[in-house]
Amino acid sequence: MYDKLWLIPFFPLVGSIINGLFGKRFIRNEAAIGAIGTGAVFLSFLVSCSCFFTLLNDPVKVHQQVVASWMTVGQLQVDWGFLLDPLSALMIMVVTGVGSLIHLYSIGYMHGEEGFYRFFCYLNLFVCAMLMLVLGNNALVMFIGWEGVGLCSYLLIGYYFEKKSAGDAAKKAFVVNRVGDFGFLVGLFTIFWTLGSQHGVWTLNFVEISENAHLLGFGGTVVTVATLCFFLGATGKSAQIPLYTWLPDAMEGPTPVSALIHAATMVTAGVYMIGRMNVLFAMSPTTMTVVALIGAFTAIVAASIGFAQNDIKRVLAYSTVSQLGFMFMAMGVGAFTAGIFHLMTHAFFKACLFLGSGSVIHAMHHALHHAHLDDDPQDMRNMGGLKKYMPITWATFGISCIAIAGIPPLAGFFSKDEILWWTFGSTRGNLLVWGIGAITAGMTAFYMFRCFFMTFHGEQRTHKKAKDHVHESPWVITVPLMVLAFLAVVGGFVGVPAALGGHNQIHHYFEPVFGHAQEVYKIGIKEALEHSHAAEYGLMGLSIAIAVIGIGIAFTMYLKRPELPGRFTARFSQLHRWVYNKWFVDEAYDVLFVNSTKKFATFCWKGFDVKVVDGVVNGTGKLVNVLSTALRYTQSGLLHNYALTMVLGTVVMVAIFLLQ
Amino acid sequence: MENLVQIALQNVNLAAIMPSLVLVCFGMGLLLINVFLPRGTTRPAVWISLVGIVVTAVVTVQGWGNPQYGFSDAVALDNFATFFNVTFLLAAALTILMSDDYLRREGYAVNEYYPLILFTTAGAMWMASGTDMMTIFLGLEVMSISLYVLAGFFRGQSASNEAGLKYFLLGAFSTGFLLYGMALIYGVTGSTRLTEIGAYLNSHSSLLANPMTLAGLVLLSIGFLFKLGAAPFHMWTPDVYQGAPTPVTAFMSAGPKAAAFAAFLRTLEYCFFGLKPEWSAMLWVLAVLTMTVGNVIAISQTNIKRMLAYSSISHAGYALVGLVAANEIGYSGVLFYMLAYTFMNIGAFAVLILVGKQGEENLTLEGFAGLGYKRPLLGVAMSVFLFALMGLPPTAGFAGKFYIFAGAVKAGYIWLAIIGVLNSAVSLYYYLRVMVYMYFRDPTEDYAWISLPVSVLATIILAVIGCLYLGILPNEVMAMAKTAIF
Amino acid sequence: METIFFYLVALVAVVSGFLVVRCQSPVNSALALVNTFFCLAVFYVMLYAPFMAAIQVIVYAGAIMVLILFVIMLLNLGTEARKRYTHGVVWAAIASLLVLVNVVFFIKRGRVTGAEGDITDYLIKTEGHTELIGKALYTEFLLPFEIASILLLVAIVGAVILAKKDV
Repeated sequence: MYDKLWLIPFFPLVGSIINGLFGKRFIRNEAAIGAIGTGAVFLSFLVSCSCFFTLLNDPVKVHQQVVASWMTVGQLQVDWGFLLDPLSALMIMVVTGVGSLIHLYSIGYMHGEEGFYRFFCYLNLFVCAMLMLVLGNNALVMFIGWEGVGLCSYLLIGYYFEKKSAGDAAKKAFVVNRVGDFGFLVGLFTIFWTLGSQHGVWTLNFVEISENAHLLGFGGTVVTVATLCFFLGATGKSAQIPLYTWLPDAMEGPTPVSALIHAATMVTAGVYMIGRMNVLFAMSPTTMTVVALIGAFTAIVAASIGFAQNDIKRVLAYSTVSQLGFMFMAMGVGAFTAGIFHLMTHAFFKACLFLGSGSVIHAMHHALHHAHLDDDPQDMRNMGGLKKYMPITWATFGISCIAIAGIPPLAGFFSKDEILWWTFGSTRGNLLVWGIGAITAGMTAFYMFRCFFMTFHGEQRTHKKAKDHVHESPWVITVPLMVLAFLAVVGGFVGVPAALGGHNQIHHYFEPVFGHAQEVYKIGIKEALEHSHAAEYGLMGLSIAIAVIGIGIAFTMYLKRPELPGRFTARFSQLHRWVYNKWFVDEAYDVLFVNSTKKFATFCWKGFDVKVVDGVVNGTGKLVNVLSTALRYTQSGLLHNYALTMVLGTVVMVAIFLLQ
Repeated sequence: MENLVQIALQNVNLAAIMPSLVLVCFGMGLLLINVFLPRGTTRPAVWISLVGIVVTAVVTVQGWGNPQYGFSDAVALDNFATFFNVTFLLAAALTILMSDDYLRREGYAVNEYYPLILFTTAGAMWMASGTDMMTIFLGLEVMSISLYVLAGFFRGQSASNEAGLKYFLLGAFSTGFLLYGMALIYGVTGSTRLTEIGAYLNSHSSLLANPMTLAGLVLLSIGFLFKLGAAPFHMWTPDVYQGAPTPVTAFMSAGPKAAAFAAFLRTLEYCFFGLKPEWSAMLWVLAVLTMTVGNVIAISQTNIKRMLAYSSISHAGYALVGLVAANEIGYSGVLFYMLAYTFMNIGAFAVLILVGKQGEENLTLEGFAGLGYKRPLLGVAMSVFLFALMGLPPTAGFAGKFYIFAGAVKAGYIWLAIIGVLNSAVSLYYYLRVMVYMYFRDPTEDYAWISLPVSVLATIILAVIGCLYLGILPNEVMAMAKTAIF
Repeated sequence: METIFFYLVALVAVVSGFLVVRCQSPVNSALALVNTFFCLAVFYVMLYAPFMAAIQVIVYAGAIMVLILFVIMLLNLGTEARKRYTHGVVWAAIASLLVLVNVVFFIKRGRVTGAEGDITDYLIKTEGHTELIGKALYTEFLLPFEIASILLLVAIVGAVILAKKDV
């Protein structure tokens, strides 16, 4: 089976090419285009399934397939190779599984759009790139995927390119991701160069890097610097502080894109990358601490912003940033399994939430359009009481909200609880991180249910004229919702902890990938806690309690006493203003780095050493532009000036040679 | 007298010049046939020249692994020459394919265009296979004079006239440097044969520090550096590339540039291996200068043809990095890069020809707005070429840059490699801007004037295949390039 | 004696070279150029290269300059063409000065110790100068010699294309 790995990214690529080249002129039919796009991903899903189950029963857990040799330079050999191990097997299952559902959904959602073929072309291309990213057996193949998903995300955010905001958002995502990619490349080069020149191991292959990582020395500078660079790359792709601002803006893209790329798959690439390089990260406690802290702060900041957003997709976007923060927290405290576990469950319920929101927006848009109103179809203040019109969407959305809030026995509970348990009890754990995590869990429950209640319950605030035009969506939309909701319910059972009488299968499943690093570098639950279920029960009870309190507050504020939020806002108007405006981070970035190179110069002059990436990037851009214009003047068009330059060049060159 | 003829014939080895001989014969035959063709009938000329190139290619490929020397070592048809010859022939074939419709559209459907392309290619071949300074010099002159004429081919357009004249005057100027350098080297060593020069300098090592040798090396280098458009001898490129007919520009930036690299590489390696530290240091500075100047100025260009001219300067800079590295990977990287560049650059120019409208009015960035949606095929092809020019995987540009920078790293020039990578990062900006216009701007035109003739389509498809093949499976070609260097 | 003669001729060559650039009328410039060519021919003679000297006089001073003069007279250039452009003269002066410094430095540092070729005085005397050149062209340099013919062909074709009224 393992020699069929190449088929997995191949099918979506073919689908993309067919739709891209022939979609507009020759196929034209929406159903056919949709079928090709969805079918391609579904075929990949089938192959992935068979690979996954073969691997499950195979005692050997790491398989590589080299399709062709790519480049050979001296001892360095780079292949077009794929790597199947438990980590990538799970990832391809998630990507193709959730991917096919979202493709199916898109047939309904994008119905009637002008660039229908274009959408499926990009979406398939994205799936192909994402699969390259997770399957690549060396850093260069991964990098192709890494750049490819960035490009597709860029194209899809700017899908409605006639809208200026969409174009701006695309540009922002692009620039921010470049910064991250730069970090990724520098980290890669550092590892590659050190391993090669100092230890004679010229390789880019992940398996070989992991095997030889110990040569770099535990806690060494090289490892720390390189992993920090990798983490910078991860913050770009996975929207963490300081590079998270692009993700909420990315909601300008069509909703299925938000579900697939900006919730379930691409944004988790950073987490996956840390998982892939877990040995390197395990070797640098400093980096791990940084990862955990950044994850924790991102989680709580994004959650607080989620409190005050009224755009349904923005709430979900900040929720995604926050949940990604959770995953990084997990990676940072050495709970690699828990991080990837949460990645999986999050993919289910967050995709379901986004698709549910898409279903609502679709219905609202339709209704408002029918009634010739131009209210914002995404604004939750225009919704309310939609439960009776859209029962399936309501149910699935509700299930996912319970899942994300962490109420047992739904998927979110197990993964989130595992993360909190590790932040508390791991040898790399950190009580501060645990505290932030626990609080954030409560906040998550609150804002998700705020969103749920505002949308589906309470008094209906939709305009009278539009009210009766709201309908449940067609089956292509509701079927994926139901499947995802089902997964959000049962997805967690693979990771039932021993304390609850489970076997924690996922832990054993990932043993071959993460076990080695955890064993060698002594990462695990502290001995004192390892066998005491009491502490674990206590924490579980606490996190359930926090979640219930969060839901309770939301229930009180938005269902029982709807006047409360207004009073609250009035009371804490200052705080609300800050939260509502996303802590003014965008504005701060604008003021600090984007708008004013002049101010930037003054800052430097006054001794302000503002070295944050955005500023440097824009500053360099300006500088290069100025330089470019200046240099253009040398190109006068006058022949004798050109000849003169040549003579001067010659004179200088000869002089240098003769003087030495 | 008998004796003399015998001596003369002894050294003749036609196999050593067979490719160029065939090509020149086709060129001269074509000149004769053109006389009998009615005015405006260009198809036969296109076909004959294409057949000529194919026949030459067949002859050339036969020479692989079967080196031929002759004419008292004035020429060597080794693997090195054969590799470059294939590059030239590809460039010529792709250029001819995309020329016919363009020339018609612009009203200059003149048959002499095709023999001139063939003669240029023959000149390039002599440069790549010449092992005598005289052969190299005369090859360079044949190539250059044909190019002067081709650059000024649109006699009614002042831009084209200007391009031709500027190229001619500055080219003659640089030839002066080249010849002066050759004379100095001849004065030092008493020979024009590259191998003899090398052997002489090697056995008289005191000569290596002789100012005459050094001055000869510098002046000789300048002659070649001018042809490959390295800063500060690059000033002619933007004006000439912009003014010349677009297919000629495409050809000029691929074939002749590769020829200059071939001759430069062979001269350095055959004659001046004893001075490697010196010329490496010199080229280090020039490579950095060339990359940076090309990229930085390209940023502020709004005319895509001119932007590609500057970008071609920076690409010469990347290839120079391979010469600086001066090791197996670096040299073979240069060979590979020139082949890869031929595909991506000619491809990009082919798209430019189609989008350009009559009189080349539509070459600004705005002229590409929404092209990706209105003409998906062209959009995708242009994206592939731009990706290759940027050096992103999985295209030929990435593999080429990878080899060249790997060579530099291996030779210990880490900073040079880093500067090169940073330069590629800068170049992303202006290449991507074209893509932004193609995909993120509302089309202002319906691009109805774009007709897609089969010949141009063939050029684009071949170029796309080349870009992707060399990017995805570069190993085989790279292995050939490795056996091609000395 | 020979040295004095050399410097005299060299002086004439440099002065006429300067005149080529400075003269107001193109015809005068051309005549100065002829003068320079003659001086060069004298140098060839002094270097024991009588054939080259003859070629220099016949081809350059004779044929090419006559052509140039014809062109100048036929076109009968107006005053516009006679105007001398002085744009960038300062820079040019600086550049020339730098070149001069370079050259002086080069000569001071230079140990011009070239190799000696195979053609000895004895050979020249017995076989003859012109014969030796002819032999070299047809044996050792046969290929470059033939390539030169292609070069001329290309140049003719190019000239025709660029000059013909309509092709």
